[in-house]
Amino acid sequence: MRRPVLVRRDEALRGGQPLAFAIGLAAALFIGVLLLLGAGHDPATVYQRMFEASLGNPDAWSVTLNRAVPLGLAGLAVAIAGSMGLWNIGAEGQILAGAMMAAWVARVGDGWPGPIIIVAMLAAGAVGGGLLAAGPALARSSIGVNEIITTLMLNEVALRLVQWLIHGPWKDPDSFNFPLAPMLPDQARLPVLFGRAHAGVILAGLVIAVFGLAVSRSVWGYELRVAGSSEATARYAGISLSRKIFTVLVLSGAVAGFAGAIELSGTADRITETISNGFGFAGIIVAALALMRPGGVAAVALLFGAVQIGGQSIQTLGVSSSVSTILQAFILFGAIGAGVFSQYRIRLVPGRRSVLEESVG
Amino acid sequence: MSEASLVGLFAATVSFGALLYLAALGELFSEKVGILNLGVEGMMAVGAVTGFMAAMETGNPWVALVVAIVAGALVAMVHGLFTVVLGAEQVVSGLSLTILGIGLAAYLGKGYVGRPPGAELVPVDWGPLSEIRWLGPVLFRQSPIVYLAVLVGVASWFVLNRTRVGLALRAAGESASTTDVAGHSVVALRLSGVAIGGGLAGASGAYLTLSVTPQWAEGLTAGRGWIAVALVIFGAWRPGRVAVGALLFGGTLALKTRLQTFGVEFSPILLSMLPYLLTIGVLVVISIRVRNRPSPAPAALGTAYRREER
Repeated sequence: MRRPVLVRRDEALRGGQPLAFAIGLAAALFIGVLLLLGAGHDPATVYQRMFEASLGNPDAWSVTLNRAVPLGLAGLAVAIAGSMGLWNIGAEGQILAGAMMAAWVARVGDGWPGPIIIVAMLAAGAVGGGLLAAGPALARSSIGVNEIITTLMLNEVALRLVQWLIHGPWKDPDSFNFPLAPMLPDQARLPVLFGRAHAGVILAGLVIAVFGLAVSRSVWGYELRVAGSSEATARYAGISLSRKIFTVLVLSGAVAGFAGAIELSGTADRITETISNGFGFAGIIVAALALMRPGGVAAVALLFGAVQIGGQSIQTLGVSSSVSTILQAFILFGAIGAGVFSQYRIRLVPGRRSVLEESVG
Repeated sequence: MSEASLVGLFAATVSFGALLYLAALGELFSEKVGILNLGVEGMMAVGAVTGFMAAMETGNPWVALVVAIVAGALVAMVHGLFTVVLGAEQVVSGLSLTILGIGLAAYLGKGYVGRPPGAELVPVDWGPLSEIRWLGPVLFRQSPIVYLAVLVGVASWFVLNRTRVGLALRAAGESASTTDVAGHSVVALRLSGVAIGGGLAGASGAYLTLSVTPQWAEGLTAGRGWIAVALVIFGAWRPGRVAVGALLFGGTLALKTRLQTFGVEFSPILLSMLPYLLTIGVLVVISIRVRNRPSPAPAALGTAYRREER
């Protein structure tokens, strides 16, 4: 009797993560073929449309880039926390909080000149996301409350706060009693670069680059990674853990909140309860696929953005949007699985019933 | 505030409480064996849609319930494969499972949106008990799934705390290596816990489409899976306390649509934040008390076990 076991490789496979992503994508596309055939569609036509609508021409690229912005920033938010071994599952709510603060600035700043109102909105967005993360950050850093659950719970709280605002205080009197906030003033919109791509693409790229460098090259980032890999080492090196945990989680929230402000100012007409659109959760996946490295986040976000935009486009062919949702899930699972195998290999060992026998025999 | 509206409130509290309780007990089993499953929302959605479909095809609500339980367990096995067998990160896999479950439910249920149910689980008639003032409508005119939830709750407590199997299950979540040395298969124990979790989440979803709102629509689960995750913490990983939490959180769900009829000038939307805020509060209290006594959370929760890396 021989049984398979996973054995850690001495060194992770070189290029293992891009490979993992490619395997995930391939597995997902294969399952997609089955789903499409099952629903009576021609997979080749559907996939061609997906590609053309997301990467086929400059206009398609502009839409994909816009989509990569919140995915990349949410991914960055998760990766910043993740490089210290912390989980920020609350990017979804922090995006909403950022959008709320930015919308509030747009309300009170109605009539301010364009550049000022936009800068104020973006700053307010970061503050909003940081504020929502501050509670879990404080609880974690001072008394060790698990940040996974607190950040997760605050997603639902932020969602209801937005619902309350647009059903109540912020309801547009001209909306015929629909729960809708008023449209943003024109000067609160981010300028357009090309096609539909807005200036948020550049801003997001800058923020990702800055944090990528800070985490991988600065003393601050080094301490972060040390604290993430070993608490004891960090203590010995004199790194203040609780302060670090607090700032990292708040920064992580601020980045997600910044994404919310960009979404509001760049692609949305008004604040809605769906403005975060699952980006916060997708960001966790993006960060995980990028192995929590801020540098890798941008590439993964772009690919994921293309899948999402392509997935939306095939609805015009009568394909349910659920197919694209399932595709995304299988990319993740495929990549998670392949990621495991880039660090482990399967070895067949003689089968034994228990460890005890193994060590004795 | 009339008697009828109060009775309605309490009856709905019990009904929503049972809905949350089933899913939370499932998550409890999963976490007891050490596997955090953030895919409850997705597993509920799959249970809801497969239950509805099976009711349409067979006309038998009990068959539909069994189908939903099996479907929930099968979907949970995806999480089991990645986290238990391969040892992948539980948070990421669980969230992926939520996305997969919601997508799968939408895909499967496309032709069933808005259609009338093929079969429903009608409230049990307890004869004279159902006629008792107050108690009758609140406790004795509920869907059979409500009584099932109570049974499962008692059984969970008994199995986990009074049987050898339960001890082994808990051990797998407290100290996997010790369990392994004792000759139990950690993989088998953990997979069972995850499968039970999926089955109960599936049953909870089926309760929605077979009793509560007997219809299928995308987004039907409406974030209740997250409440189930919260409940396990709120109840400190104990079936009895989780039941109390389920009634409390079920009460806020029931009260949400009734605030206006009671003439209360408070936003129902703000009220629905309460379960999440309470859970955070409980977590904070647990963390403060942990300084003097052991945490109620399973010690190995969230960690992978690989014998070769012991």
